[in-house]
Amino acid sequence: MWLFLIKYTASTYKETLLLLRDRAGLAMLFIMPAALVMIMTLLQDSTFKVLEEKKLSVLVVNQDADTFGINIVDGLKQSKFFHVIDSLNGKVLTESALREQVAAGDYQIGIVVRPNATRNIRENMKYNMLQQLPDEHSDVFGSDSIALSPPASIEVFFDPVTKNSFKQAIISALREYSSLVEAKVMFGVYSGVFEDMLGIKLKQQGMSTRMVNINEQYASTDEHLAVPNSVQHNVPAWAVFAMFFVVIPLAGNLIKERESGVSLRLRTMPGSDLAMIMGKVTTYFMVILSQAILMLLIGIYLLPLLGLPQLKPGHHYLALFVLTATISLAATGYGILIGTIAGSQEQSAIFGSISVVILAAIGGVWIPVFMMSGVMQVVTKLSPLNWSLNGYYDIFLRNANLMDILPNLTALFLFFVTCVSIGWWVNTHKNQPV
Amino acid sequence: MTNKQDFIEIKGLIKRYPHAEANAVDHLDLTIAQGEIFGLLGPNGAGKTTTLSILCGLISATAGSVSIDGLSMKSHPDQVKQLIGVVPQEIALFDKLTARENLLYFGQMYGLTGKSLRNNVENYLRRFGLTDRKNHRIGNFSGGMKRRINLIAGILHQPKILFLDEPTVGIDVHSTNVILEFLREINQQGTTILYTSHHMNEAENLCSRIAVIDYGKLMAVGIPAELIRSHAGCENLEDLFLQLTGRKLRD
Ligand SMILES: Nc1ncnc2c1ncn2[C@@H]1O[C@H](COP(=O)(O)OP(=O)(O)OP(=O)(O)O)[C@@H](O)[C@H]1O
Ligand SMILES: [Mg+2]
Repeated sequence: MWLFLIKYTASTYKETLLLLRDRAGLAMLFIMPAALVMIMTLLQDSTFKVLEEKKLSVLVVNQDADTFGINIVDGLKQSKFFHVIDSLNGKVLTESALREQVAAGDYQIGIVVRPNATRNIRENMKYNMLQQLPDEHSDVFGSDSIALSPPASIEVFFDPVTKNSFKQAIISALREYSSLVEAKVMFGVYSGVFEDMLGIKLKQQGMSTRMVNINEQYASTDEHLAVPNSVQHNVPAWAVFAMFFVVIPLAGNLIKERESGVSLRLRTMPGSDLAMIMGKVTTYFMVILSQAILMLLIGIYLLPLLGLPQLKPGHHYLALFVLTATISLAATGYGILIGTIAGSQEQSAIFGSISVVILAAIGGVWIPVFMMSGVMQVVTKLSPLNWSLNGYYDIFLRNANLMDILPNLTALFLFFVTCVSIGWWVNTHKNQPV
Repeated sequence: MTNKQDFIEIKGLIKRYPHAEANAVDHLDLTIAQGEIFGLLGPNGAGKTTTLSILCGLISATAGSVSIDGLSMKSHPDQVKQLIGVVPQEIALFDKLTARENLLYFGQMYGLTGKSLRNNVENYLRRFGLTDRKNHRIGNFSGGMKRRINLIAGILHQPKILFLDEPTVGIDVHSTNVILEFLREINQQGTTILYTSHHMNEAENLCSRIAVIDYGKLMAVGIPAELIRSHAGCENLEDLFLQLTGRKLRD
């Protein structure tokens, strides 16, 4: 036990010295991730702005000069998501021009409201009403017989490259306006019938207000919590990425020790290898932790100076610290694992970086998980970077406390234990003495 | 206290590396008494490093056994490891640490601490003429200086047995002499030494007994002078070596 402690302290001290001596390497460990966080946040901030703030241009041809067509176009115009274009170069847009523009990829979405849409809705309304009325009232709409008309129709043309999310946005917007307008038309028909049958004239065309209002809210129990923004995605995402990237210098350190014969020499000395491994874990843990703290501080203090939103770290600082520490531990463990199983510096550098990039990709660092397809949403659960990132989301966006992120912490800690155990096992069992 | 005759015992030792076509060590039997300076000689690839590695517990034997002071590495690893000091063939040090930092670190790896370790390190640095270089990084040292530090790192805990794998390879006469003189000195103080070398003259002068191995097999073992006498036409170990292995020393 005493020997273990001596070896552990000496190893920690030695690793720290080695790191401090390697100025260039140390600078890379801190400057590169800092630059990464800033650049990626700036880049992705503009993407987020495209998504959230910049309106999507849609071409619109309204061939129904009546209530339905007019209301749909107005609805789109009033929406904060769409920029409605109904004339190009001073000329009113035609359907063929619209198709051409969309096909050429100049615009992603074109909408054509077909002729007689309003009339068709009205006729169908009347037809339906007639089916319900007793026979003696079958002449409320005059003596002409009323037949079922084709449904009102809207054509939506998409550029094939249009993102699914945009398609969904436009389709659901159209659905929403359509049902509002349908209700309006229906109200008009009913009020006509009211007047004819009962002699009561309704004062105004009602139903212009919604009866159900859907408010989008972020499910957080705290009023003061901000909605997520590019900073709140990007800072933790790239911080986690950079933290795991430390596997490369750490694995390199292990392999260098093996290639220089130092680790063989150490194995001729009494006591367990675990002390040396834990020494490395401690030193690199401290490095990764400080790196992560630096990046969070950048999010809080530096990014606002660059015109980006500020990172709001939530209210549970203890949870934030414990999570960051556990991620640091997990990243260290991964480095130890790669350093012990890789055969050479090259192997570990290539395998280390590619595997971290893959884990980052499936973990939702590049593309947030909610944008991923169904299969990927399951696959993402395999990545420790996902457990890490979700922990940060929980703290930043859902105001989670230590208990709330316990599953993430447990998973990350088990990952660390597993990695180090495998690494240690491989290390000792590769060569068994007589 | 009388010296133990089978202080280091190698019995029927065989080592075949995975996927190798021949044994690197082939039915080797050797006993080394306490207090000897024993030379293990052989051309490149003879199996010297392999034999030492098995003795130090770095690799496992395919068959046979080794014991040190009656203890096997398998059953008493930590006890055996405290008994032995190892000076590897390659320079196994941290380039970015100074001579002193390197030595303090390896001393601590043996469980040494505090003032006694620091004094120990200072003494050895002085003994090897490196005091004025102690705060320089090893990376900037000459080959001979690195060899000396490499040696000190293996003896800080004052081992009873010292294994050295070609401790004088590729260094100048001065450094060689410093090292050999030191080996004689600690041998007189009771340290048993097992070392490998290419330098026959060096071995002839230094060793109480030698063994010549080739292709992992023992070719001859005995006191250098007796071996030379008993082989007709040999005037020195160099001749003997050529006769036994059919090879020049350095190919
Ligand atoms: N790790 C290994 N894997 C496979 N074969 C090995 C390994 N190490 C050594 N060998 C082979 O075993 C044989 C003995 O090698 P060893 O290193 O013990 O020789 P040596 O006497 O120390 O040589 P040198 O004088 O070059 O140091 C050689 O043929 C070598 O190629
Ligand atoms: Mg060798």
